[in-house]
Amino acid sequence: MSDSKRRAVVIEGVRTPFVKAFSELLKMDAIALGDAAVAALLRRTELPRDELDGIVWGGVILPGLAPNVAREIALDLRLPARVEGHTVTRACASGLQAITSAVSAIERGDADVMIAGGSDSTSNAELKLPQKVVHALAPLAFGKATPMDVLGVLSQLMPITEVLPKMPKIAERTTGQVMGEAAEEMARRNEVSREEQDEFAVRSHHRAAAGIASGRLRKEVTAVETPDGRTVTADTLVRADTSVEALAKLRPVFAKKGTLTAGNSSPLTDGAAAVLLMSEDKARALGYRPRAAFRSFSYVGVDPADQLLMGPALAMPKALDRAGMTLGDIDVVDMHEAFAAQVLSVLKMLGSRAFARARLGRDEAVGDVDPAKLNLYGGSVAIGHPFGATGARMVTTVANELSDGNKQTALLGICAAGGLGAGAVMERVE
Amino acid sequence: MSDFLLELSRNPTARKLIKTAGLPVPMPQALRRAKGPYPERPLHDHAIVYGAATGGAMAPTIALTLAKAGADVHLVGEPSLREPFAEPGEAYGRPARFIDLSELPDGFRGQGMVFDATGLADPVQLRALHDFFHPLGHRLANCGRVVVVGRPASAAGTPRAAATAAALEGFVRSLAKEVGKRGSTAQLLTVAEGAEARVEPVLRFLLSPRSAFISGQPVHVDARAAWPGAMAPGSIPMVQSLQGKVALVTGAARGIGAATCELLAAEGAHVVCLDRPQDDALCSQVARKIGGSVLLADVSDPSAPQRIADDLRQRHGGVDVVVHNAGITRDKTLARMKPELWDQTIDVNLAGVVRITEALLGQGGAGPMRDGGRIVLLSSIAGIAGNMGQTNYAASKAGIIGYTTKLASELADRGITVNAIAPGFIETRLTAAIPVMIREAARRLSSLGQGGLPQDVGEAITFLATPGAAGITGRVLRVCGGALVGA
Repeated sequence: MSDSKRRAVVIEGVRTPFVKAFSELLKMDAIALGDAAVAALLRRTELPRDELDGIVWGGVILPGLAPNVAREIALDLRLPARVEGHTVTRACASGLQAITSAVSAIERGDADVMIAGGSDSTSNAELKLPQKVVHALAPLAFGKATPMDVLGVLSQLMPITEVLPKMPKIAERTTGQVMGEAAEEMARRNEVSREEQDEFAVRSHHRAAAGIASGRLRKEVTAVETPDGRTVTADTLVRADTSVEALAKLRPVFAKKGTLTAGNSSPLTDGAAAVLLMSEDKARALGYRPRAAFRSFSYVGVDPADQLLMGPALAMPKALDRAGMTLGDIDVVDMHEAFAAQVLSVLKMLGSRAFARARLGRDEAVGDVDPAKLNLYGGSVAIGHPFGATGARMVTTVANELSDGNKQTALLGICAAGGLGAGAVMERVE
Repeated sequence: MSDFLLELSRNPTARKLIKTAGLPVPMPQALRRAKGPYPERPLHDHAIVYGAATGGAMAPTIALTLAKAGADVHLVGEPSLREPFAEPGEAYGRPARFIDLSELPDGFRGQGMVFDATGLADPVQLRALHDFFHPLGHRLANCGRVVVVGRPASAAGTPRAAATAAALEGFVRSLAKEVGKRGSTAQLLTVAEGAEARVEPVLRFLLSPRSAFISGQPVHVDARAAWPGAMAPGSIPMVQSLQGKVALVTGAARGIGAATCELLAAEGAHVVCLDRPQDDALCSQVARKIGGSVLLADVSDPSAPQRIADDLRQRHGGVDVVVHNAGITRDKTLARMKPELWDQTIDVNLAGVVRITEALLGQGGAGPMRDGGRIVLLSSIAGIAGNMGQTNYAASKAGIIGYTTKLASELADRGITVNAIAPGFIETRLTAAIPVMIREAARRLSSLGQGGLPQDVGEAITFLATPGAAGITGRVLRVCGGALVGA
């Protein structure tokens, strides 16, 4: 909790539809998706453009030729030139990082009005050429090449297997482990069964579908026009008709006798989400109704070689401590669902007294999270997970729930590659 | 100096060929050794099979150690066995599971086997050892680890119990010889009552690749040395545990000394590398590589002890770890040994060590040696078993053991531990000079069928230098691959 009098508040959030990678939004990269989300946010809030101080953007697969996505969005949307922008990357917590960076800037008095969010387009991940090829091609790329140079380059590019581009994959740089394998290991280590995971996934889909049907989630989504003239209006990954029986038929994808399937893991997704933040005074002066504020947030790191995605089990209690609260004070819990197995593992840790003693240095467990309070409108397993956008999607949904659903407090938890974890406590603003 | 058979055994085709042809050629298993500094979880993804005799007291300690070290525990025995494993398993995401010995999957191999024998009180109960290990006979992975945990026979309440406790040692020493040809080791860990809190780092070490060349070894853990005030039990540092410590290593220019310097530095120690002035170039090279300091002195020089003590106090503010590694051999049968050869050997290997240690401790403890420190002295298998042509050398190295034992009792109140290391056949400049046939015989004599590397001795020294070795003092640790005949 900030001791200063200035408080940053969430005014509004909006996102593009979240769609399966390599489908409807194929032609839009992270910048184009960000443009769509920020443009929609500006339209909805009718924010006078001169009031905007800057943009903070989160992303994981950043466009190699223009990695400062935030600034590119500002320029694309022809915002006043003084609207600065910077881009942050903290794996799957990048979206939340962008927002808490903006919150910090506002609460320090560095800015009054910020847009923060994130986007990712797995469809536009760049194929990485091996460094050997890059070094070999350097004389051709950066100078006037002679025929001898060309021959020299060709001679360096053998054997062929060493020069083929590497397929992008979500593997840990230090351990080489693919994220799904890490989650598979967590399922084993925390004794999370296939059935529990499938049930959790089905619930995520059903809750998301209900949220869409009731309009509760739909109002957070803006239609996006693609470069080829089509309009994408709704999330495409949520399946209202899925069932435990249907998911039980799927084969494990990360290990032969594993428990993780395409059905209980979050899919590769394209999308963007953006949130408008202001100092509370500024919001009142401009006549906006603040929805929520951050009481605390925390980021932690754990050894990626142990349980890669357990970070929230440490970050969430830390955020609660900083907010001076316990789990019992919380009305809504929203957790990023990288994998059902990962959420269920973290929930077990939070409910475990043994874990609390050994890893948190306290005598009592953090507590059991009531399923009725957890991920009220589903999560990343059902809705999808464009890495950098998820944090802003969660903040938007939670802020709306606090302001419109008449709840007081919310706890967020996000796991991220590299053994990172994020936690945050949000509260309703009257 | 290279071990031809070891090289050959690394070639799978040659290995298979020799095995199929039934040639009487020993095929030693290339040992798995540790790389890099101590990790947080040395047993990550290791399958460890655990069993216990009824009434055993060590389960809670073993359970916590294994879970924290990242091991996947497989239990053999009654359902009640799981109880002490439940909480640590949950806390560290390492749930212990039962396995059925009669229905083990074909490919199942345990990287380690731990048996809590502290419950054994009568010779007839020793059958529990057979019941546990017999069905697991072929289930130990190559370079696996067996650790039997017991109580010291000397502390047994009755002669009957003493007989039972002592039996464990014979069992382990023999098992070590049986599993050795596959690179595996077996040790007996005896724990004095009240020393349970000091077991964790020792068990970690014995189950890790760092103990690659230690086998058939009883390791005793007790609470004799005062517990350093600043260190709460359960908060013993396991990684980078020598941060902020100053270590002195004599004979640092090459071989075991150089390897030890590197390993101590890898755990965070500032190492003062000491060797003779004529080895300046080599010694400086070692020091430069690890960011340590150089101190040139001849350990047999009468003025050296004071100079070393002054240097440590003035340049480093004191010393925490002292490794007396410098040593020489001047081999001749006693009939041919000139008095100079006798004197030189005793002087460098024993008298010099005593003089330097005394100077470091100082009158009334006023020397640079700090409380909670570690003294490690290099003895030798020759000092235990004797060796032809080494009356001088063996005398000096046996003397080291006596010195270790007495000094340990004197310094226990200050939390300083004193231990000796007795290397067996180690591939160094010294052993490379042995005639080829004798050298070959010496190599194959050990349970592991090969010589050790300087690194293996360095690992043992480094372990004894860590805060985690607080439970071991006044002991001799053999690093010989189980070479001692009948040992």
